[in-house]
Amino acid sequence: MPDIEQPSADETIPFYPDHFRTELRVVLWIIGIIVLIGIIGLLMPVGQGDPADPMNTPNHVKPEWYFLAIYQILKFIPKTAGALLPVILIILLTIVPFLDRKPDRSPSIYRKRLISVIIGLIVLTALTIWGEVT
Amino acid sequence: MDKLLNFWLRGRWIRLGLTAALVCIVGLLFYVSVSADTHPRDINQESSAPDNPDWSRIRSLVSAADIPYSEYSAAAISVPQPAPDPCLHCHISGENTGLWTPLARWSIFGLAGLMFAFGVVRSTSVWRNRKPWKPYSRRTAEWIDERYEISGPLTKILNKPVPKYALRWWYCLGGITAFLFVVQGLTGIMLAFYYKPTPDAAYASIQFIESQVRFGASIRMVHHWAANGMIVLCIAHMLRVFIMGAFKPPRELNWVSGALLLTLTLAFGFTGYLLPWDQRAFWATTVGSEIAGGIPVIGSLALIFLRVGWSVTELTLSRFYALHIIALPLATVGLMLLHFLMVRKQGIAKPL
Repeated sequence: MPDIEQPSADETIPFYPDHFRTELRVVLWIIGIIVLIGIIGLLMPVGQGDPADPMNTPNHVKPEWYFLAIYQILKFIPKTAGALLPVILIILLTIVPFLDRKPDRSPSIYRKRLISVIIGLIVLTALTIWGEVT
Repeated sequence: MDKLLNFWLRGRWIRLGLTAALVCIVGLLFYVSVSADTHPRDINQESSAPDNPDWSRIRSLVSAADIPYSEYSAAAISVPQPAPDPCLHCHISGENTGLWTPLARWSIFGLAGLMFAFGVVRSTSVWRNRKPWKPYSRRTAEWIDERYEISGPLTKILNKPVPKYALRWWYCLGGITAFLFVVQGLTGIMLAFYYKPTPDAAYASIQFIESQVRFGASIRMVHHWAANGMIVLCIAHMLRVFIMGAFKPPRELNWVSGALLLTLTLAFGFTGYLLPWDQRAFWATTVGSEIAGGIPVIGSLALIFLRVGWSVTELTLSRFYALHIIALPLATVGLMLLHFLMVRKQGIAKPL
């Protein structure tokens, strides 16, 4: 178990007020964006589709964009596997630290992980766009 | 008030003297009020104008001439002016009204003046011995701190040093996610004031929010986009942690709680999507819960748990609403606290 090393005084800045001010600035910017979104919402509300009708199935049923990728995969694999896939993915994601326990030795590992993440993101984005257009 | 009473009851002579003084003052006031019947008009005034001018004569003269007021003197109409008061200050000092009225006035006002002067003199010592002035914010803080002694722990929390390597924009993704969660909580409460979780009323209540409630469309828009933003930032934060290897020992449980928080966020999205109760919401939930039903062994159980029955009904809507506004927020807040406490305890992972 690697020790938790406490950074020395010259490697740190005080949380209050130095870092607090930075965080406050970030929060103010986000509040500004939120107000902007609110103003846009006054002009163009989110809106609703037709009221729900259990007797009338629409031709295209689409989930939210963050479920589109998995929904797209589901179209090509059997139902049981499709239902298991998200569960397995979530479990895998949760136990990542127990699968990869080796401490990092050099910064070059960052680039490897970055590239793998980018590839994964490209695949996910492609699946999402594919799910969106079909 | 207690001090005043103590003073009053302290000694016999003081009590006697003060009572006598009070009786005298009240008696004088009473005497003056009934005896000062001398009115200024009774003073013999040297004036040629009569007290009651003959107004009917003057009015007939003026109306016959039909002239403005500025030309009265040219037309030899003299409007009688009130007699000038020969002694204005006499009304105040009470001259010409005998002996007792001015005496009473001078005693009462003189006594009041002496008391005022005495009070002023005594006040100087209060002013000289005053405590140094403090802002009310500081006084409030000290009042609370005297009782609960929070300044020590608070200072410890605020003085926690922040390592310089953590001053990069990609270290604030998680914090922004937490802030967006607060935004979701606030806008969600505002929406819940008007939303009705029944199939008959849900659709109409959202129409009501968007068209009738003041800034309702804004609030729904913010809730909608902050939800999407939360998912994006959650994933971004997770990828940042993954790329930098911050999940490595000893921070495994922090990653686990984070992954659970991502799952909860997605669950928020899934349950919240049904609430507008339009076609898209209804059928997305139907398909989504059907996928959950495909899981081996526990599939039908999950399906029944989600739908409360075999199809999406008003019970599903109630259940999703309860999950969305009570169960999931509670779980999320708890896990977030754990997440933050672990970060606090272990510090921010140092990159290589």
